[in-house]
Amino acid sequence: MNEIINIVGKEVVRNVIGLVGVLVVVVVNVLILTWVERKVSGHMQRRIGPKEVGPFGLIQAIADGIKLLGKDIITPEDVKKPLYFLAPIVIFIPVLVSFVVIPFDSFLQVKDINVGILVIFAFSSLSVLSLLLAGWGSNNKYSLIGAMRSVAQNIAYEIPLLLALLPVIFMCNSFSLKDVVEAQKGIWFVVYHPIPFLIYFIAGVAETNRTPFDLAEAESELVAGFHTEYSGMRFALFFLAEYSNIFIICAVATIFFLGGYQGPILPGIIWFFIKTYALAFIIVWFRWTFPRVRFDQLLNFSWKVLIPVSFLWLLITGGMLKIL
Amino acid sequence: MVTDVIKKLNTAVAGAEATETAYAERGYNISISASKDNLNKIVQFFDDEKFYLEDMLCVDYKDYLEVLYFFNNYRFLCRTKVALRIDPANPHVATMSNIFDGAAWYEREIHEFFGVVFDNHPNMGYFFLHDGIDFYPLRKGKVPVPPEDKKRLSAFNVEEEEDAFTINLGPQHPSTHGVLRVVLKMDGEYVISAEPVLGYLHRMQEKMGENRGFMQFLPNTGRMDYLGPMSFNAAYVCTVEKLCGIPVPERAQIIRTITIELNRLSSHLLWLGAYLADLGGLTPFLYVFDDREQINDILERITGSRLTYCYMRFGGLYNDVDEQFVEGTRAFVKRLYERFKMYETLVTKNVIFINRTRGIGILDSEKARKYGFSGPVLRSVGIPYDIRKVEPYAAYDRIAFDVPHEMTGDALDRYMIRVHDMEVSLKIIEQALDMLPEGPYVTEKVPKKMKPPKGDVYHTVESPRGEVGVYIVSDGTDTPYRMHWRVPSFSNLIIFPYLAQGTLIADAVSSLGSLDLVIPEIDR
Repeated sequence: MNEIINIVGKEVVRNVIGLVGVLVVVVVNVLILTWVERKVSGHMQRRIGPKEVGPFGLIQAIADGIKLLGKDIITPEDVKKPLYFLAPIVIFIPVLVSFVVIPFDSFLQVKDINVGILVIFAFSSLSVLSLLLAGWGSNNKYSLIGAMRSVAQNIAYEIPLLLALLPVIFMCNSFSLKDVVEAQKGIWFVVYHPIPFLIYFIAGVAETNRTPFDLAEAESELVAGFHTEYSGMRFALFFLAEYSNIFIICAVATIFFLGGYQGPILPGIIWFFIKTYALAFIIVWFRWTFPRVRFDQLLNFSWKVLIPVSFLWLLITGGMLKIL
Repeated sequence: MVTDVIKKLNTAVAGAEATETAYAERGYNISISASKDNLNKIVQFFDDEKFYLEDMLCVDYKDYLEVLYFFNNYRFLCRTKVALRIDPANPHVATMSNIFDGAAWYEREIHEFFGVVFDNHPNMGYFFLHDGIDFYPLRKGKVPVPPEDKKRLSAFNVEEEEDAFTINLGPQHPSTHGVLRVVLKMDGEYVISAEPVLGYLHRMQEKMGENRGFMQFLPNTGRMDYLGPMSFNAAYVCTVEKLCGIPVPERAQIIRTITIELNRLSSHLLWLGAYLADLGGLTPFLYVFDDREQINDILERITGSRLTYCYMRFGGLYNDVDEQFVEGTRAFVKRLYERFKMYETLVTKNVIFINRTRGIGILDSEKARKYGFSGPVLRSVGIPYDIRKVEPYAAYDRIAFDVPHEMTGDALDRYMIRVHDMEVSLKIIEQALDMLPEGPYVTEKVPKKMKPPKGDVYHTVESPRGEVGVYIVSDGTDTPYRMHWRVPSFSNLIIFPYLAQGTLIADAVSSLGSLDLVIPEIDR
């Protein structure tokens, strides 16, 4: 082992192990979240959800994954093939990169980059490109409308998403996620910044295309929106990306507002996952409670409410920091 | 009131020859035989008098075709039959769609099934039959479709235009709840025009009615509106009872009332869930199924089926009810009052729900009259018109209830009307259970093979979706000569192109859902 490390270098080995770890986290997270979603939605709807495969239906998601893997890969006629093939890949890769910078514990982080949060945003912005590719490449009018919606929606909601985080970045003077967590040793930033937390969370739900903001999919209007024409493993990649995005949104919220891995008694990693999945639970809860908003209401809400309020909060924070 | 209308009409239109008919036997108050010359004047007269076009149909009497217009109004009961005889060799009538917009669709239907051409009609395209049919199905002999008409059979091959694209909403689409197809011309997210295409579930029920005995057609009624089969049962049974003069025991009347109202509850509950699913909220759908399941259990015990009931018989019912039914229904009513509180917090007070429905698809009373829609959609524009009150059937004349109506006429009002309707239904059920008498549940002396006397009869009931009208012409044999169904989903859908125009696709879906359509009922 030592010889290999000596030959290829410590850093490379660390990165390879890290990437494998990230892949494991991504897949396991999807398994957990789909189970949570199905179980929670089941109980919210007076059903019991999956229970046959494994104890409490725990390995139902694995069975589903195997089913999806075994499915015929159907390519509809008249699709624009390069775009159609590329879209599921383009949506999945950036998700992996985002996981690299997340500090799961004080010692558990693949790479602490000093612009960590910017890396996450830069890469998660790519997902909108993939939705556009999928919508355009599918050669389906419903998909195209879904893609157009998702572009407008993502542009509108990425702004408040980042603006809501800026007050925190002001306070700890760093883009590094680890620094942000370390700065919350005493008090979580949610105490100082409750409204940015709410704005971030709402915008995050919109960013992940979840109900009540699932306009890009909008089952009752656009059938399935941008992924109408996808099936089998290609659909599964969209699915993986959606749940991974939920995890990233919740993880960033945990890191920036809820103290990340900080917490008493239990080890940091446990605290991190408890907080993250608590937020994920709320997102699932939203989905099974609210109807969908309309497209213009969605955009108006971002441009007329969320963005001005977050700017105002930013100004106040800046002013306070200057005075104090 | 009826005599006033006759007097006014006879002075206003020369040669109209309006006569009063026996309402109790025929189901309509005034009968008018029009000619091609004064038809326009007569229809204009009813428009001026604020009547609405209730129904329009055609009957083939071999020597002549008779186009019938039924007018009624919201203020007092005055159903008027205007009959126009035309020559089958030259079946041309002036269109009335310039006066009553709703007539446009009825005329299309008549054109499709009888070959009657309505001159100056805006769009005579076929919308029920598929391409293979080259004769007029409801004509008594085989009349071929003329060659210039044949090309209309595939009229929906849409041409793409610049700056606009077309979308087929359906026939397979999550929010059309069946096989309705709407051709939407879109400009981005905005709907420029919408055109429904029907007939994907067309079974020609009216022709089936002509080919089998009165009793044999009874199960078909439940298949038309699979969500409100009790009302359709009642509509058919009451019509035949009126035609043959069959008495119905009091106990049967009360049980009919209870089962119709239970069925109305289950229909409205399903609508509530499906409408919320249209708006993207999936959870209420499963909650209403929980309640609906209880209704199904109650009705299954007495009818033997859970969806397409065939419970009513001429002169009574298929089966008597017992103590367990009464107890079960009482317990269910109590439970549903509790559940309404939950629906109120989950749905009615939900901000997103209110924002999605308030001000969407606004209708007014003038539109109601011109298009002839009925039921909760009509009551949402502020007209408290309910067949249960106006022409009571079963035991509704003995039960105290009020007709809920709202004023704005938007999708939220249509939702509220249905919620209030459910509360009214619960009150009706409670009262009916209290007055349930002992006695027979069916009249004994009803012959198996019925031969009603010659004549025609019109009868309406209030189904969960609105006014169901049955028109039967009997020629004295054991099968009806002509059977016509006026179905509320069809008359409510006529307004949809108007509602969808210029709205966002999300609002168009919301409006479509708020009309509460059942597709097999539209197609018949």
